[in-house]
Amino acid sequence: MYKFKIVYLPEFLEYLQEKYTLWAPAKSGTETEFKVISSFAEIDQSRLNTTLNPKEIFFPRREVLFSYDENGIKTPPPPEKPVAVWGLRTCDTRSIRMLDEVFSNAHQMPEKEMFKDPYWINKYADSLLISQACRQPLSTCFCNWFNSGPFDETGSDIFVIKGEVNYYLKGISDKGQEVLAGFAKAEQTDEKDAAEIKDLQAAAESYMSPALDISDLKSKLDKIWDDPLWEEIGAKCINCGACAYICPTCHCFDVSDEGKAGKGKRVRLWDACMFQLFTKEASGHNPRSNSLNRVRQRVMHKYNYFVDNYQKFLCTGCGRCVSVCPVNMDIREIIKKILAHEI
Amino acid sequence: MTELQNKIRELLEDHTVDLVIGWENGSLPLVSSPVFIKKAEDAGKVNFDVTCRNNLTTYLTKDRRQLGKDYQKIGIVVKGCDARSVVLYVTENQVKREKVFLIGVPCQGVLEKKKIFDICEGREVLEKRVEGENIIFKGHAFEIKVPFNDVLSDSCLGCRYPDAREFDAFIGTPRGELEKKDEFKVVDDFEKKTPEERWAYIKDEYSRCIRCYACRNVCPSCYCNECFVDHNDPQWIGKTPEVTDNIIFHLIRNLHLAGRCVDCGACVSACPVNLDLRIMNKKVEKEMKDRFNYTAGLDINEKPAMATYCENEKQDFIMG
Ligand code: SF4
Ligand code: SF4
Ligand code: SF4
Ligand code: SF4
Repeated sequence: MYKFKIVYLPEFLEYLQEKYTLWAPAKSGTETEFKVISSFAEIDQSRLNTTLNPKEIFFPRREVLFSYDENGIKTPPPPEKPVAVWGLRTCDTRSIRMLDEVFSNAHQMPEKEMFKDPYWINKYADSLLISQACRQPLSTCFCNWFNSGPFDETGSDIFVIKGEVNYYLKGISDKGQEVLAGFAKAEQTDEKDAAEIKDLQAAAESYMSPALDISDLKSKLDKIWDDPLWEEIGAKCINCGACAYICPTCHCFDVSDEGKAGKGKRVRLWDACMFQLFTKEASGHNPRSNSLNRVRQRVMHKYNYFVDNYQKFLCTGCGRCVSVCPVNMDIREIIKKILAHEI
Repeated sequence: MTELQNKIRELLEDHTVDLVIGWENGSLPLVSSPVFIKKAEDAGKVNFDVTCRNNLTTYLTKDRRQLGKDYQKIGIVVKGCDARSVVLYVTENQVKREKVFLIGVPCQGVLEKKKIFDICEGREVLEKRVEGENIIFKGHAFEIKVPFNDVLSDSCLGCRYPDAREFDAFIGTPRGELEKKDEFKVVDDFEKKTPEERWAYIKDEYSRCIRCYACRNVCPSCYCNECFVDHNDPQWIGKTPEVTDNIIFHLIRNLHLAGRCVDCGACVSACPVNLDLRIMNKKVEKEMKDRFNYTAGLDINEKPAMATYCENEKQDFIMG
């Protein structure tokens, strides 16, 4: 494990910028989101979780797939440099890895080339994900329900802990180790440092509420498709897209054409199963015509269908949806209700 | 049991209504949650306090109409602005007055989460307590006491009618009509800026919209079965959160709400990225007042401004 003094962070980031395009949390109006950073001063890590989530980096809310005019079709050029992300939370990193399974098809059906998404892969390839331990988790954080926690290194290339005077950095992947080894200011940590890290971890974990055992969640959901419970859960949902758009793991999209016959673009944009339009068919028929069906879909996709396809929940417990929902649909309460429900 | 809870229990017991829509305590300290009460014994869940931001009347329209179809009569707890939404619904033939039982409450104003966030410098609030004119926020290793007015939503600070004026039962002591001399100050100030400054502000704000439509979906007045943004043949506006299309979305929404926005602030508090959605709505409200002497939701017998014509109304926009 390495360390460097907190004051050397700008230097470290400049070092990263030699090889990478650097993304980090930054101000956006009153809120924060991940943006391409040109200087250290633009970084804003005042919030534990950025308001908007990091999927934007590889799966932007609006993405031009190709443009066309009388000279033919143009696809966007591949990025000049790979992406490095500073300031991810451990839940953020895990969410990006989940999306990679969907878009790059890293584990599922490797033989099916057609499921590889070039737009994702172009940006994701050779990226460096640097995640940072959470020293003071929020009351909405529930990553510990998913066998994770504020100091979970899983999926990171580099894992960072901010101490009182030092950043401690651990190379997790080969790529991460190489980057750290090449930074001149990085020193090896000693026993005193290890003790500080241990204390920080214990302090961080003390902020978390006890984890709920959700091992039966998937099988419970298998049995309640038609249950009136959905009405109790979903009646108050107003079917906006706030939860899905703010969620780092939701990844549905729509494709739309902009322009005219001679000149235009095809764009990809986020979409959400909560919208009535999402499943509306050309005939006018809508298989998920009411709000409850849509709430069920969101819950089922996260905690049931995704488990079937990828053997994990499509949720990291980041708590973003909990804090933004305008009608306080708290996904934790929903899970508790489902688990407590007698069939 | 509070007076409000008692009333709700009574209404359900004697079958005056078969459903009551109210608020209950939410899962977070600064948030309350809409709740649907069908059994008299559940009346105790209902609560009304400074976190009840939602305008619950939104559940009476849209595809939520299905919610109402199984009920003879729905009781609904309404603040001043919410009651105005019901008046609007009645004048626009969306809800039959006799199908709803309005339980009016006097509103002290509701908290604006984002103002609290600033005052607490981003630290998480785990507890709140109202103490006289002040409110206390507590979190890990901090406690802040601020005047209540500092954290009220802008809509509440500019509110004239905190009591439900249209009601079937009123619980609590009415506050009466409030004198607000600077109701449109925010618009007046904005109008003093140069067109370039105004444009820059609007562009900046709306460029951040992610088009989640939370503002539209919480809004009681946005009840179209198919919103113009969802229409795709022909497609009226681009679907992506690109700044031009965002601006078109918001400006058209503003115009569709002319004489219909009750300034309940539900959209502002729903927006996950905290956009200034109020300034343009307030501007349109001011125009409606100046031109047609009309304010949405005040008079249940008055025709909606946009559905009437009067020879002597100001028409300088046509005459030039
Ligand atoms: S759960 Fe909340 S944020 Fe999600 S669609 Fe429903 S109302 Fe919107
Ligand atoms: S469902 Fe909610 S808690 Fe889970 S990853 Fe998405 S935003 Fe985070
Ligand atoms: S536009 Fe906003 S303030 Fe106006 S009625 Fe709709 S939700 Fe309320
Ligand atoms: S709630 Fe905010 S982000 Fe969502 S569509 Fe409305 S203005 Fe845009």
